[in-house]
Amino acid sequence: MQPIIRLDRVTKRFGHETALDDVSLEVPPGVVFALLGENGAGKTTAIRLMLGLTEPSAGSVEVLGLDSQTHGLEIRRQVGYVPERPTFYDWMTVSEVGWFTAGFYGDGYETRYRELATEFQLPLGRKIKALSKGMRAKVGLSLAMAHQPKLLVLDEPTSGLDTLVRREFLESMVELTAAGQSVLLSSHQISEVERVADIVAIIRGGRLLLVEPLDELKAAVRQLTVTLSDGAVAPPRLAGELLCERHHGRQWQMIVRSPSNDQDQRPDNEFELLRDDPSVRDLEIHTPSLEEIFVAYLKSASEPAEGVDYEHAEPSAVIEDASQ
Amino acid sequence: MFFAIDPANGVAIYQQIVRQVSFAVAGDALQPGDRVPSVRQLARQLAINPNTVARAYQQLQDERVLDAVRGTGLVVARGALKRCRQIRADVVRQRIGQVVAEARQSRLTDEEIRALVDEQLATQRPQTNEIFAPQTNDSPDVNTKQES
Repeated sequence: MQPIIRLDRVTKRFGHETALDDVSLEVPPGVVFALLGENGAGKTTAIRLMLGLTEPSAGSVEVLGLDSQTHGLEIRRQVGYVPERPTFYDWMTVSEVGWFTAGFYGDGYETRYRELATEFQLPLGRKIKALSKGMRAKVGLSLAMAHQPKLLVLDEPTSGLDTLVRREFLESMVELTAAGQSVLLSSHQISEVERVADIVAIIRGGRLLLVEPLDELKAAVRQLTVTLSDGAVAPPRLAGELLCERHHGRQWQMIVRSPSNDQDQRPDNEFELLRDDPSVRDLEIHTPSLEEIFVAYLKSASEPAEGVDYEHAEPSAVIEDASQ
Repeated sequence: MFFAIDPANGVAIYQQIVRQVSFAVAGDALQPGDRVPSVRQLARQLAINPNTVARAYQQLQDERVLDAVRGTGLVVARGALKRCRQIRADVVRQRIGQVVAEARQSRLTDEEIRALVDEQLATQRPQTNEIFAPQTNDSPDVNTKQES
């Protein structure tokens, strides 16, 4: 199937700053694709490139099979986009802004907009400037969905919104995916991403650290707490990728990614082998939440390079507990 | 039936749904012929990805807990009760396995472990009905939307 979004070796520089560095990814149709990253990691830049709102310094971006450099307008017409801080003509009423926006889209837009606004219990006759933050966000979402886009792009849509509004956004995303449409979600709300995402991508400092189906990621990563019999030695080496570790006396905590990519084969068995090591007194294996995995990846990315070798001098990945 | 999903739980979300449906059948909260919510309904109710619900339902069909009935949707299969009790027994077996491993790790002797199990068996009165499955009324549409 043709991907809904394709980034091919995309780099974007602003002066000397590199906002995105050689990023390649594909979003298949019918999924919720989540972009995770800290502020300034390059998520919004990636979204703006997709929508043709800015041009890549190198590489190419395609959305719905269209080149975003040459067909930005066409893409924006077909995609629904909720920016982080939507701006409206705030002297218009809720229904007027729908009527106004309908001018840019095809037939049926205004009707569908009114349906959505009613579903969201928005007061049609009230001026935008008199709306609460949550209501404004729902106006943004209604406008973005009224032309029944094949792809809905949400950039931090729920930051600062209350639980109920966030829930309504989630339900809308769920509805769209159930109808076979795709969602690109950039979010800080990792617990929401954990609920709805099919695929997650983690960006840090403009570089893509990971793109993977969420369930495969969660099946492969484990947090190990190892108690050693001797505080002077490092724990035995593990198969797989060490994402981050810290220790406090004889106890080490590591977040490790299993080397096997077989989803049904839980990695616990390989890690259980640690128990047989004479230096290990106790071992606990825990499946970390997406948030813990995310933090571990961000920490691992602050490393100079490939796998940390803790047989050699104290690596900087080791976060010494301050209380020692 | 009621579902309670914890996305941050170590158990994959689809697996949580598989377990909860199986446990509800094992506990008679769902009976053969009962309909389960559609993929869309359940995805919306739990605010989770519909692909996840579809995957759970697929597995439940593969395990012959659910049957697709044309025009109706998915219903609890005939003979599902026995299979679900088996599924639940497997889950309990796995948990007991974990507890035993932990007990061994704490250097308890087999005798001590048995004594602890016996103590629990003696203090916990037998349940008249199956445990786990929460009571259900027939409305599939629970704890979804509150008035905003």
